[in-house]
Amino acid sequence: MSAGGGGAGEAAVGVQRSERSIRKGAGMALLLLVLLLVPRFANNYYLEVLSEAWLYVLLCLGLNIVVGFAGLLDLGYAAFFAVGAYTAGIVTIRLGQSFWLSLPIAVVTATLAGVIIGGPTLRLRSDYLAIVTLGFGEMVRITVRNLAITGGASGLVGIERPHLFGYALHSIGAFYYVFLLLAVLGIVASHRLENSRIGRAWKYVRSDEDAARAMGINHAAVKLAAYALGAIFAAIGGCFYATKMTAISPETFTFNQSLLILLGVVLGGRGKIPGVILGALVIVIFPELFRDVGSMRMLVFAVSLLLIMLFRPAGIWPERWR
Amino acid sequence: MPLYEVLLQQFANGLILGSFYALVALGYSMVYGVIKLLNFAHGDLYMTGAFAGFGALSLFSGWLGGGWGGIVPAILFSMVAVGALGVIIDRVAYRPLRQAPKLSVLITALAVSMLLENVALAFTGGQYTAFTTNLGFAGVDLGMVHVTYTQMVLVGASVVLMVVLELFVSGTMHGKAMRAIAIDQDACRLMGIDVDRTIALTFLIGSALAAAAGVLAGVYYGSINFFMGFLIGLKAFTAAVIGGIGSIPGAMLGGILLGLLEAFGTQIPGVGSEWKDVFVFAFLILFLVFRPTGLLGRPEVERM
Amino acid sequence: MKRRTILAIAGLFAFGLGGAGPAHAADIKIGAQVPTSGSEAPYGIDMLNAIRMAADQINAKGGLLGEKISILPGDSACDPQAAVNAASKLVSENITGVVGGYCSGATLPTLKVYGDAHVPFVITASNSTELIGANPGNAFMINSTGFDQVKTAVALFKAKGIKTLSIINEGDAYSANLAQLTRKAWEKMGNKVVDYEVVSKGQQDFSPVVTRIRERHPDAVFWTAYYADGALLIKQLRQGGYTGMIALGDGNNSPKLFQLAGAAAEGVYCFSNPTANFLPAAKTFIADYQKQFHQPPGPYSALSYDGMMLMAHAIKVAGSTDKMKIIAALKATHAFPGIAGPISFTKENTLARSNFVVLLGKGGQWTLYTGPGAPAAP
Repeated sequence: MSAGGGGAGEAAVGVQRSERSIRKGAGMALLLLVLLLVPRFANNYYLEVLSEAWLYVLLCLGLNIVVGFAGLLDLGYAAFFAVGAYTAGIVTIRLGQSFWLSLPIAVVTATLAGVIIGGPTLRLRSDYLAIVTLGFGEMVRITVRNLAITGGASGLVGIERPHLFGYALHSIGAFYYVFLLLAVLGIVASHRLENSRIGRAWKYVRSDEDAARAMGINHAAVKLAAYALGAIFAAIGGCFYATKMTAISPETFTFNQSLLILLGVVLGGRGKIPGVILGALVIVIFPELFRDVGSMRMLVFAVSLLLIMLFRPAGIWPERWR
Repeated sequence: MPLYEVLLQQFANGLILGSFYALVALGYSMVYGVIKLLNFAHGDLYMTGAFAGFGALSLFSGWLGGGWGGIVPAILFSMVAVGALGVIIDRVAYRPLRQAPKLSVLITALAVSMLLENVALAFTGGQYTAFTTNLGFAGVDLGMVHVTYTQMVLVGASVVLMVVLELFVSGTMHGKAMRAIAIDQDACRLMGIDVDRTIALTFLIGSALAAAAGVLAGVYYGSINFFMGFLIGLKAFTAAVIGGIGSIPGAMLGGILLGLLEAFGTQIPGVGSEWKDVFVFAFLILFLVFRPTGLLGRPEVERM
Repeated sequence: MKRRTILAIAGLFAFGLGGAGPAHAADIKIGAQVPTSGSEAPYGIDMLNAIRMAADQINAKGGLLGEKISILPGDSACDPQAAVNAASKLVSENITGVVGGYCSGATLPTLKVYGDAHVPFVITASNSTELIGANPGNAFMINSTGFDQVKTAVALFKAKGIKTLSIINEGDAYSANLAQLTRKAWEKMGNKVVDYEVVSKGQQDFSPVVTRIRERHPDAVFWTAYYADGALLIKQLRQGGYTGMIALGDGNNSPKLFQLAGAAAEGVYCFSNPTANFLPAAKTFIADYQKQFHQPPGPYSALSYDGMMLMAHAIKVAGSTDKMKIIAALKATHAFPGIAGPISFTKENTLARSNFVVLLGKGGQWTLYTGPGAPAAP
């Protein structure tokens, strides 16, 4: 947008802008209302798929902090998801504690894991970063597969479903609201982070690390914060995933899972929150749409991914780089 | 078996395993070196190559026999066919995104990988196909270690291919153009280098190498399937990174090293085999922390 | 441009969410929950084929309760979330029953989905003991559990004078569980496991493991994962000079093993449900399957065929598509003549009696082993 114009013009732009933001706010409210009313009309299948979609919105937003905001490649993001899920499993099954206790523990563990994974990667540039994060992801998966406390290859079964204000989270309808709430919280948090001091630091490091360092930004702390915060998103998602499924096993946290989440972020438009949300919806809902195609559904999914990237090379709804 | 013999045999095992990794890693590394793309579909070209070779061998073996007389033409056919497929993939899926962010191309590479896998799944119905040849188990005994002719051909082929490739890239005009593109595409255009054609050539060679490895794997192991590219793709990527991604001798070295690491990994005393991969990855990460550019990679400053 | 793309994508979503139309309303719809995508697709497709074949045969004979059976596949992709989605979708399409269930981890969370809708579920492959406790009462397992297999295996090893054992698995829930149970039982008897290996799924080169086995020279090698990778292991073990006994878990009971392993599979043992060609019904099953799908059946094809037949039988007994009545009929199943042995259920809806047998690879096919250590005939 060009800067010129007189005072009157500027005022007009201001009015336009406030009008637009009111309209935008009204649109959001309407959308949220519709989403809140969905369980009244939709059957369990739609609720399952939509709950999964909200979970992936949260996961993709978390990875977006690392990949989108800070510009670091991460091919082992499923590890943090596993940290959350297994924390919930261990806290409820092995320790016999309340599910809610697993949330703070998962946050702490994920922060630690994020720093541990982020640490060695600080010296590395993108593609070496890819293999290191991939390696960490695999190490976490193999470790939970081998340990007795994580139930070995069979995983953990019988994870407690929690109560909230005396109301049991039992039906898929209830979980729909839980995951919708998580997604909304994830969106709000992402938005706040993006426009915060650290958000600007991430983008600075992303676009020119050397310049950022010269300006006094502690690039190590900034990158570690990205890994840790991204990890927290996934860990919280993991806790609720575990309690929804009531059973978890190492096969959920493979390299393919990490790739799928990355797919959502890049497909939607990394760095752009609405884009990432859209990307998450695509990776969950598209394969479901193609269920009726039968055994060819992943083939159709692959073709549609390819087409989307060809027509929207920077993602469906990309960030405008300034 | 006495220990030295076991270790010697493991060394031979690692060398053979590493040769496969190296052949696939060569293509990986080459493509990366030129356009900075982690071609996730590379492992699936290996798989496609195995199937193309299988189809060709079924056709040829009628009059050329199921021995090397039939296998060599099958390998050549597969290299040409998959090389062409690689060029088509580049033209359709990667070239339109040349100016897009690198991560976007990574995603199309993933999509291509999924596509190839699922096309193969649809064609084979998920069946594992027996790749029958009549290569015997004949070979020579080096001490107590038995090495078959097939194994010798395999290791020999990957060494020869690597040397030829290195000579090509360092000696010819095309090779020089590839290296120039790796440094600055726009400057190359200004200098009159046909960038798109050179990149297509890179894909041709890289894909043909993967195809050769695929057919050799089919011949050697005797069974092929739609999913066979996944694991080796991952391993080849690792090998390329260890060796210094973008470097041809590095990819070779990285492949062999990874093969040896896996073979000797089973011999680590006191460690259950379920932890083997954890150690391989831990070693890899520590290695990269201390040598961030791999064995033979050049240090470079780059931005995403 | 941007807006149009977004609108187009939104349109696609709307189309998909609204457009999933039902099949033929009058048919009896049976869901087939198996993985048809991803690395487990080969085994899932083997099962789906068999379920389809059973339905086709019933339809050819005039159908069920005067109606045709139609099979609705639900791709579980061997993933818990994908399986729950598939199950919810099948329930929303008003299926009468479900047959299938491969990958215990993916089957487990679907039990609740089918349980809430009171849909009868005949589980034809998954056999984790975890499923028993999570069963709301509508699910019936017709595959024997790992315990039964270990018992058969250990008895054979003992009779064959085996002292030292090498156990190899792929680290997935099924093969790791079988390997661990065997190790425990074997060591409890005072014997030794000299080598315990975990290999990667899809691995083609087993030479480091083969060398390791030759170094430890166990009397027997027990492979607990599936036939496709197992065939390569057998071949490389024999080529590498290992001459001891090779035994395989029930995921290897497929004629396909011989296609892939060739002569190396001669003389190997396999613990399995009795589906080889010595049962008359099984013989026609293998021929029919080969004719319809141009390939031999997979390890769980026969059980899946039985599962579909059992479901049809229960619907016939119930006399209607009332799901509660069908569940009651399934529960009352007594000695239903499956091609993989007679089926009756315990109180926990598991197979009342293990019908594990020992098979021996001979002349390029599986034959029933009746020598020392073989279980009593079913």
